Amino acid sequence: MASYYNFKKVQVVPNGTEFIDIVLSKINRKTPTVIHPNYQITRIRSFYMRKVKFAQDCFDEKLGQILSDFPKLDEIHPFYADLMNVLYDKDHYKLALAQINTAKHLIDNVAKDYARLLKFGDSLFRCKQLKKAALGRMATIMKRQKDSLAYLEQVRQHLARLPSIDPNTRTLIVCGYPNVGKSSFMNKVTRADVEVQPYAFTTKSLFVGHMDYKYLRWQVIDTPGILDHPLEQRNTIEMQSVTALAHLRACVMFFIDVSEQCGYSIKEQVGLYNSIKPLFANKPVMVVVNKIDIKKPEDLDPEQQELLNSITNDEEVTLALTSCYTDEGVMDVRNLACDKLLASRVEQKLKGTKIQSVINKLHLAQPVARDDKERPAFIPPAALNKIKYDPKDPNRPKLAKDIEEENGGAGVYNVDLKHNYMLAKDEWKYDVIPEIMDGKNIADFIDPDIEAKLEALELEEERLIAEGFYNEDDEMEDEEVEAINEAAAKLKDKKSILVQQHRLKKTKNGKGLTYKDKARSSRLDDFEQVLESKGKEASLHNLRDKSQARVGKKRSRSEVSVSKDRSKSLAGRDDVPRDRSVMGLRNVKQKIEADKLKNNYQKLPNLMAKRGESDRAIQTKMPKHLFAGKRKMGSANHR
Amino acid sequence: MAVRAQFENSNDIGVFAKLTNSYGLVAIGGSENFYSVFESELGDVIPLIHTTIGGTRIVGRLTAGNRHGLLVPNSTTDQELQHIRNALPDSVAIQRIEERLSALGNVIACNDYAALIHPDVDRETEEIIADTLKVEVFRETVAGNVLVGSFCALSNQGGLVHPRTSVQDQDELSSLLQIPLVAGTVNRGSDLIGGGLVVNDWTAFAGNDTTSTELSVIESIFKLQDRKPTYVVNEFRDSLIDSMT
Repeated sequence: MASYYNFKKVQVVPNGTEFIDIVLSKINRKTPTVIHPNYQITRIRSFYMRKVKFAQDCFDEKLGQILSDFPKLDEIHPFYADLMNVLYDKDHYKLALAQINTAKHLIDNVAKDYARLLKFGDSLFRCKQLKKAALGRMATIMKRQKDSLAYLEQVRQHLARLPSIDPNTRTLIVCGYPNVGKSSFMNKVTRADVEVQPYAFTTKSLFVGHMDYKYLRWQVIDTPGILDHPLEQRNTIEMQSVTALAHLRACVMFFIDVSEQCGYSIKEQVGLYNSIKPLFANKPVMVVVNKIDIKKPEDLDPEQQELLNSITNDEEVTLALTSCYTDEGVMDVRNLACDKLLASRVEQKLKGTKIQSVINKLHLAQPVARDDKERPAFIPPAALNKIKYDPKDPNRPKLAKDIEEENGGAGVYNVDLKHNYMLAKDEWKYDVIPEIMDGKNIADFIDPDIEAKLEALELEEERLIAEGFYNEDDEMEDEEVEAINEAAAKLKDKKSILVQQHRLKKTKNGKGLTYKDKARSSRLDDFEQVLESKGKEASLHNLRDKSQARVGKKRSRSEVSVSKDRSKSLAGRDDVPRDRSVMGLRNVKQKIEADKLKNNYQKLPNLMAKRGESDRAIQTKMPKHLFAGKRKMGSANHR
Repeated sequence: MAVRAQFENSNDIGVFAKLTNSYGLVAIGGSENFYSVFESELGDVIPLIHTTIGGTRIVGRLTAGNRHGLLVPNSTTDQELQHIRNALPDSVAIQRIEERLSALGNVIACNDYAALIHPDVDRETEEIIADTLKVEVFRETVAGNVLVGSFCALSNQGGLVHPRTSVQDQDELSSLLQIPLVAGTVNRGSDLIGGGLVVNDWTAFAGNDTTSTELSVIESIFKLQDRKPTYVVNEFRDSLIDSMT
């Protein structure tokens, strides 16, 4: 949060001439520099156009950087906005930034105009003059910003040195007349080293210091002294204090010097308090009476006491006494102020909605007793008596870290794991124990009576098996289950047979008989059978003899004819394909004739390097590399 | 006494160390710096053992234990087991557990009297936990998280639980464990309490990122340096509210 409000990141603002130098040298570095009059005019134009555009980009970038770096008064915390108003004058600041912005736009316009003119440039000389004019005009615009740039650079330097005050955190503001001991108090409670001198306005700006209290980080702001006069007459130094008082939600500590050593009477100091009182609205306020080593409030005149009481009688205001010289009450005052601020902040936060999300973290769950058992903590006496380790003590115990350092440091030293073993005899510590012995894992036998235990377990297991511990009430459903299993097995068999048959039918090798084959394989007996079944007298023996005689002549037939026939038909399929070139030709003469015709027909395609009549591809007719003549310099464009 | 420590630039020291009232386990790191933080606080009081578990350095997350015993996961090698046995006093029982949820430090949160465990832990494991650690075992979640060991840290004096534990859950857990509880964070807002904090009855070690506010909550709830747990809700309440909202 605090880093959000530090303005150290603003980049250096160069003054007018530096600015121009930076941009011009950048143009020279980043754009091409060589051009010849005999180049094409388009090339010359683009060469200069590029320069002009580049100049515009450079100016744009630099000026844009300035505009975005500097904080915008409307966007930052009102405290900082007001502080900047006091220190740098809001109007002046805004005007400077506005002028930079205008310059940026003017440069843009110049670049646009000249880029347009360059399009009509008809020679190198004219183009160059146009470019020169463009850059010249841009430079003139920048030169006119000399004052704004110088002012912004000063602001930047001052801004970077502002204390990084976080406006939202816990803050104590120390205020009062000059020389009442504000800075001394600041030096006492924080580690900030603010200059303390015995004259007024030693502190000329805000200073911030930090301290810890109640595990929280607190910020203390030391303000320059304020004099009692109207707001309009206050100078810059005083106005910084007023700004801090007006905008920061903090505990205000108003310092009063009752000894009047500061050169201002109590009456004046009380008057100041009353005149800046409106700034303390809704803030915890403390009136701190300082320098009590010199004079205590009790020793004052009655009328002075009366004055003092007039401001401390208010309920909201707490009076505290302190002396930065003798350190008397300094810490009390600090604690009082912190507690007061914390209480008011907590009160504010309890009203908010955010508190709901952390309410469970503010709860301490206390146990409700559920039995009479004692559950005491276990703290060994050695822990209570242990002397706290002190790294500065020369007789401190040696740690593993020290031993490591003595033996070569991390990476070299290996820690001795066995050093702290608690064994019956110390000489056993470094005994080498094998992991595996006689093919067995040593660790499995670490228990001396492991064998006995194992045996006992095995015996128990056997006993349990014998007693039938594991075969529980299976028999009840035995028959039912068996029947189901049998049926399932049958189904499974049948299914597998069906599947096999189906596969056989589908495969090529196991292909079923064709109708032809079937007809061939059917025998006379079958025919008779069929006829008989239909109730007809079957005396086909003659027929059979006849057919047998006829068939027998052609091929030998037997009972196994079916299988033979099949094998034949199968073999037929494996035949070498017939030569198609002689198909449909009656004799050799015809074949020779046909070949001749074919050769004749192929002559033309061969001549044209075609693969056949279907090859219609058109190759490149004139390959460039073969037909192009000698090349001159810079004429290799066709590649 | 609460101390800040760091293991090789990691603030999750609860991953690399385990601390009980009778012993401590510390991972073997690149240097002895981490070990020496423990040694300077606890040396000569309880044995501190350099070890790995199953060859890894995440000993704090893989083991669970208290004054009475130590549970190690199935991945522990025989040699590691022997090493730990040799280095521990005989009063501490060591048990290797066959458990599917092998990061025992994440699934078990215990002190010397009670243990919270992940709801899915085996029933046999539950019995072993009760027997070895001599504790009452409760299947619980912390703020809806089943990894009870990761999201809370317990001692016999008190306990710190996940920052989103509701008030009712805190009361319930507190009555189960019979210790005062408070919800909080370690390591600048980390909710992995078990990862960032190791604690026993008289010391606590927290990650280096732990803020002073967190550390003072830790000191008071674990009754370190004569602090009282009520400190969190009385004297310290305002600071907590101001820093958290």
